[in-house]
Amino acid sequence: MKISEEILNNISSLSKIKIDEKIKSDLIKDLESILKMVEEMNKIDTSGIEPMSHPLEEADNLRKDEATDEIKRDEYQKFAPQTDDGFYLTPKVIE
Amino acid sequence: MEDLSKLSLVEQINGLKSKKFSSIELTEFYLKRIDQEKVLNSFISLNENALKEAKKSDEKIAKNKSSSLEGIPIAHKDIFCIKDQKTTCGSKMLENFISPYSSTVYEKLSSSGTVNLGKTNMDEFAMGSSNETSFFGSVLNPIDPERVPGGSSGGSATAVAANLCSFATGTDTGGSIRQPAAFCGITGIKPTYGRVSRWGMIAFASSLDQGGIFAKNALDAALALENIAGFDEKDSTSINKKVPPFFNQAKSKDEEHVVGIPKKIIEDIKDDNVKNNFFESLDILKKSGVKVKEIDLKNIQYSLPVYYVIAPAECSANLSRYDGVRFGHRCENPKDLDDLYERSRAEGFGEEVKKRILIGTYCLSAGYYDAYYLKAQKIRNLIKQSFMDAFKEVSSIMMPTCANVSFKLNSIQNPVEMYEQDIYTIPANLAGLPAISIPSGKINKLPLGIQFIGNYLEEGNLLNLSNKFQQNSNFHNE
Amino acid sequence: MNNTWESVIGLEVHVQLSTESKIFSNAPTKFGQTQNSQASLVDLGLPGVLPVLNEKTIEMAIKFGCAINANISSKAIFARKNYFYPDLPKGYQISQLDDPIVGKGKISIEIDNKEKFIGITRAHLEEDAGKSLHDKYENLSAIDLNRAGTPLLEIVSEPDLRSAKEAVAYLKKIHSIITFLEISDGNMSQGSMRCDANVSIRKYGDKEFGNRTELKNINSFRFIEKAIDYEIARQIEIVENGGSICQETRLYDANKNETRSMRSKEHANDYRYFPDPDLIPIIISKEKIQEIEKSLPELPEQKIVRFIKDYKISEYESKNLNASRELSNFFEKVAKKISSPDLAAKWILGDLMAILNKNNSEIQDSKISSDDMINLLCKIEEGSLSGPGAKKIIELCWSSSESIDVLIKKEGLDEVKGEDELLKIITRILEDNSKQLEQYLNGKDKLFGFFVGQVMKETQGSADPKLVNKLLSKKLKQ
Repeated sequence: MKISEEILNNISSLSKIKIDEKIKSDLIKDLESILKMVEEMNKIDTSGIEPMSHPLEEADNLRKDEATDEIKRDEYQKFAPQTDDGFYLTPKVIE
Repeated sequence: MEDLSKLSLVEQINGLKSKKFSSIELTEFYLKRIDQEKVLNSFISLNENALKEAKKSDEKIAKNKSSSLEGIPIAHKDIFCIKDQKTTCGSKMLENFISPYSSTVYEKLSSSGTVNLGKTNMDEFAMGSSNETSFFGSVLNPIDPERVPGGSSGGSATAVAANLCSFATGTDTGGSIRQPAAFCGITGIKPTYGRVSRWGMIAFASSLDQGGIFAKNALDAALALENIAGFDEKDSTSINKKVPPFFNQAKSKDEEHVVGIPKKIIEDIKDDNVKNNFFESLDILKKSGVKVKEIDLKNIQYSLPVYYVIAPAECSANLSRYDGVRFGHRCENPKDLDDLYERSRAEGFGEEVKKRILIGTYCLSAGYYDAYYLKAQKIRNLIKQSFMDAFKEVSSIMMPTCANVSFKLNSIQNPVEMYEQDIYTIPANLAGLPAISIPSGKINKLPLGIQFIGNYLEEGNLLNLSNKFQQNSNFHNE
Repeated sequence: MNNTWESVIGLEVHVQLSTESKIFSNAPTKFGQTQNSQASLVDLGLPGVLPVLNEKTIEMAIKFGCAINANISSKAIFARKNYFYPDLPKGYQISQLDDPIVGKGKISIEIDNKEKFIGITRAHLEEDAGKSLHDKYENLSAIDLNRAGTPLLEIVSEPDLRSAKEAVAYLKKIHSIITFLEISDGNMSQGSMRCDANVSIRKYGDKEFGNRTELKNINSFRFIEKAIDYEIARQIEIVENGGSICQETRLYDANKNETRSMRSKEHANDYRYFPDPDLIPIIISKEKIQEIEKSLPELPEQKIVRFIKDYKISEYESKNLNASRELSNFFEKVAKKISSPDLAAKWILGDLMAILNKNNSEIQDSKISSDDMINLLCKIEEGSLSGPGAKKIIELCWSSSESIDVLIKKEGLDEVKGEDELLKIITRILEDNSKQLEQYLNGKDKLFGFFVGQVMKETQGSADPKLVNKLLSKKLKQ
């Protein structure tokens, strides 16, 4: 699979990772070599095979509906980049 | 005073109980060792309260109130959150993150009486096979400082190998315990997926990640594993089964073994040294009376491509929470929200992590999901089936841990070449099976490991087999 | 509205489930608390935390499924929906994609006295996001994550609705089902029930759907009608002027009564759903579903029929009284305590609803309790309080902290005039208004009302109008 610059820009934007123009061509080379290895998968016919998303098939771990969590807002906000009056702050979002 | 580091975990426990030495003495000894071996860069941070914890343990021992691992100084991979301690996951992103809570693995070991010496270095977010992706610098292999210790739990592996702690915790997503254990000449076990709680263990790929242990030998590993395993209601993927006494199982004479040899895989080993070592190891097992049977592990050769779809896909979502809003690195003067996200993440993550997020995003994106993600999930099923078929005939499967011995720092630049480091370790993660690596000899002074993969929840059987091997060999003491 | 164009509407209703704790954490779900005081480690998406499903949410979803005769999935499977937004802490929302817990079902609505069935495509469980406040700071958005992780049931309808009126009827029906099932408080002003509407138009007789727009987050019955009507008119105007409808998300502005396009993000729709590896499928047994089905509370339809039978009220009254569980319970409580329940229906739907509407309140916030209502109606029944007197008391009671009995006394309404006294007053009034009396006796019947009015005025409303009528006719015939 060829990774065009358009594809790279798309996945960069989806994953919110800015990619330096200077490294784009090297990065594309790396990604292509990884995908080439990954595409070994195409050698095997998987028609009719169920996908397996987890080593454990099913579970019954459920939680009781109890509000027992102790919430220490100030402690959790100590390492937050920007807060005020208990709010987390970000650059203004325009909807 | 005797060299405390030569003692096994069991001997240290007995020494502490019989007051031959105190936990403070043992802790001081290790702290001194850590200081002497600073150059290895094994630790990201040290616990300033280690001696206080040791003192508490000594008091408990004096009052005969000691827990199972009372006073034993250990190290934690810096992927396990510890309350009020820095937890970086080897990343600039979390350089200043002081965790407000503790992981279950830490809590369990803490209540078992261990003394926490500090947090060990690792590949960033556990993504790497050489420990070179750590934001806090490479870790050096104590056997040859020009070489890598393996990864991602490289810090923990060197800490045990260089006698900087009694044992250490690690995590294994595609071989991150077993490969560094092999490179450093120690024992490393990755239990069954779900055996050890993932609560507070920073996620790389949730369906593959599993916590485990680095130790000097199989018995030490068994004892340590007993203390971290068990059901945890805070982890939905935790297995609700009673933990058997691994230590007793490891020593038991009643365990039966039929070891499967995946014929094709062994035939295809490229490195002759590795191949020869495998057969030498097999001879040791045979001599100790273990039955051996050739098996066919179909489709196992697809493990690497399957892994490099699933792990990046899961990590691409797991690492979205690092957005510069609630914790972690934030870029300076973001001009808008997207700028905040895109620069914080570009600056906070290293190159390898970014590469994997991008690959994962690609494999899940519209138009590619079926060809990559879904296809990988299907082959994953086939790989699991191959193992299940094999376990109808054998109790465990033997393979090399790695395709080669430790390599020189900065010597592998091609990502795929680096990924190939894990070809023998990845299959167990895909299926969620327990696996262990133990030292099996050296090539030009550099250690090699062999790996045993067991059926679900059969850690005890693997530890018993490993102990049998170690009783009939001395590689683990070299 | 327009005879050429048919509107096609489908609704996505988000219902907050009234659990004590969040869907994947033990944090409380209380509304209106200080910012970020209800967001736990899990809700904040800190490194290393894991979700564990709240069992109550599954039960509630199954209840809803049973109530609409839908298929219930045999497994609860969760998926990650990936997108970045500051009030979405993990960078993904845990939702359901394949195998939603509730499958196809249907709901009946009544429109112009005809029953119509609206198909339900699915209903699935997911977590709510937090809130972003954009007006609090000049150049910043403020994030409050209290709501993050609140359990939601998203109910998706088929595009079966043909007018804003139908949409409102459907929404009201959903509201009554969820409140009768007690799975949500249905409080729209607090966002417990929110609605997105997919709106398109086509020519009558067309089979194909037109391009649709999605109207986001409409939070009252009144606004949904206005928003849809506005949007339909907007679309018709565009198409009739030769334009075409752009498939987009639009925001309804209640103040301006218009919809406007939300700045559409380039990739907004590639959510890269994949199964959440932190949550393995939860098995839902047939027994569990049967158990829940058996314990379902009485639903509105059943109650409407029973009320007509038990309390001899009209169908119209019974339907209105069963608009919400609270109202229905209020009525039944009162009806059981008085000898003529139809009186309760009239007063509750009449004067009580009037004052509730006037004050923009729901029955659960009524300042006149069911006990107050019983008290008032008993007094009317025994004749010690007149209708107009009760009416006055209801109004006074709303804005007073004093009890009904005290208010009645204060207003002198307890001194209902006896027959003798009333006769005296009537006699006096007829004497004082001899002119009118003469006109009346000469055939101007309308003046009867005038005399009643005078008597009521004289008695300050404390007289029973029926009695006044009776006595006055008698007197006038003399």
